[in-house]
Amino acid sequence: MLLSVKNLSVTYNGKHAVRNLTFSVQKGEVFGLLGANGAGKSSSIGAILGIEKSTSDELLVLGQSPIIDRKKVFEQVGVQFQETNFPDKMTVEEACNQWHALYVKPQSIEPLLSTFGLLDKQKQLIKSLSGGEKQRLAVLLALLPNPQLVFLDELTTGLDTMARKMLWKQLLIMKEKGLSIVLTSHYMDEVEALCDHLLILKNGETMIYGTIDEVVKASGQPHLEAAYLHFSGEEELI
Amino acid sequence: MNKFGTLLKIEGKLVWKGLDILIFGILMPIILAALFGYVMSKDASSNGASMFEYSFPAVTTIGILATGVMGVPLTIADYRHRGILKRFQVTPISPLQIILAQVVIQLSSALVSFFGVTLVYSILFGYEMRGSWGLFLLAYSLVLAAMYSIGIFIGSVVPDQKSANLWSSIVYFSMLLFSGATIPYEIMPIFIQKIMNLLPLAQGIHLMKQVSIGEPFQDVVLAIIVMGVCIVVGLFGAKKYFKWK
Repeated sequence: MLLSVKNLSVTYNGKHAVRNLTFSVQKGEVFGLLGANGAGKSSSIGAILGIEKSTSDELLVLGQSPIIDRKKVFEQVGVQFQETNFPDKMTVEEACNQWHALYVKPQSIEPLLSTFGLLDKQKQLIKSLSGGEKQRLAVLLALLPNPQLVFLDELTTGLDTMARKMLWKQLLIMKEKGLSIVLTSHYMDEVEALCDHLLILKNGETMIYGTIDEVVKASGQPHLEAAYLHFSGEEELI
Repeated sequence: MNKFGTLLKIEGKLVWKGLDILIFGILMPIILAALFGYVMSKDASSNGASMFEYSFPAVTTIGILATGVMGVPLTIADYRHRGILKRFQVTPISPLQIILAQVVIQLSSALVSFFGVTLVYSILFGYEMRGSWGLFLLAYSLVLAAMYSIGIFIGSVVPDQKSANLWSSIVYFSMLLFSGATIPYEIMPIFIQKIMNLLPLAQGIHLMKQVSIGEPFQDVVLAIIVMGVCIVVGLFGAKKYFKWK
């Protein structure tokens, strides 16, 4: 098992942001963490990565604690945050070289740049990139360590249709090779294309956890989009 | 190239592209050196050394201050503020490597400024040190380590850019103006000197002055202890309270 979370709770100022989150991710599995804005997705990911304070019965990333064994764990775990900032004067090439140097056995940079359509942007300042290009760079850097497990927080937000499809294809190829992925997304087509299991959060509580078929069946709805709206509570808003 | 070497190269490029390091770390100390060398009296005072001789050690600390208590903490706080440290937190790098890279980068500027100031004093104004250069360099290193430790502590613990600016500025300007680095300690009234003595850099400059004019060792024991306390408390506090975000 690559990731095991048991009864994880995150509390801000006495208020639960996430309560008793429990799930696990196997090798080569894609796990989707879904929910409306503010449902606790990013807090959950922050807690699993050891960035947010949390309590839990078990929190093991690659069989180790992400807090105590931080350096060992993150040698083999890639992360793309919802928002990625870089120093003002940094170029694409510098960001790649710097990230490359942090790991013992990273992937080569050039093939990744070419896959992500950034080969001709190497000398550009990152702040001069478009939103989509920046997003692709953030995902690229998450995959650069050649990780066993990667966290992608809203991976295709801001990308056009072609870039999204390209990214899905790339992730599925890496999944075939054994990469495990934890992602959050607002797009159900993306979830259907990628996820083996999903978990829907509402106000920090787990509403349902299962395969796409199981979730759709349990909701009594005709398809995933409707099932998601049913469980996330967004239905009431429509 | 290894991990630290690459980090140093890229971070170094970013810092030097920023120009602050060139202006405050190198140009300002050298310009002030030219100014002080020109205006300071070369006449010996009561205890045998001239204001000009006393001013040399003081001016060498301006570059230390700009790089150590401004450059180091402001860069680290900026990285924290913008979530760059948070990204580093989920990689195998240690806080020590991140801080050390910034320290080495700022140190390069402090050393260039030291050579610049020394050249200005000796070539333009004929400065000659009466004490031992070896001991002076030792004292300089100790003061530098103490000031950098204060800077590392500020950079490690401040929650955001605003408080980094605030604390760095308080420490920087108070020591720049009131520890004898620019306005000579000797011209201050006695009661202000007593207050100035509370600033670590005032102790550091006292130490360097005494060494530079070859005064006996017992006068500087307190100053050495103060430098040591800055280093121990600063680095220990930074290690204990380092914040990624």
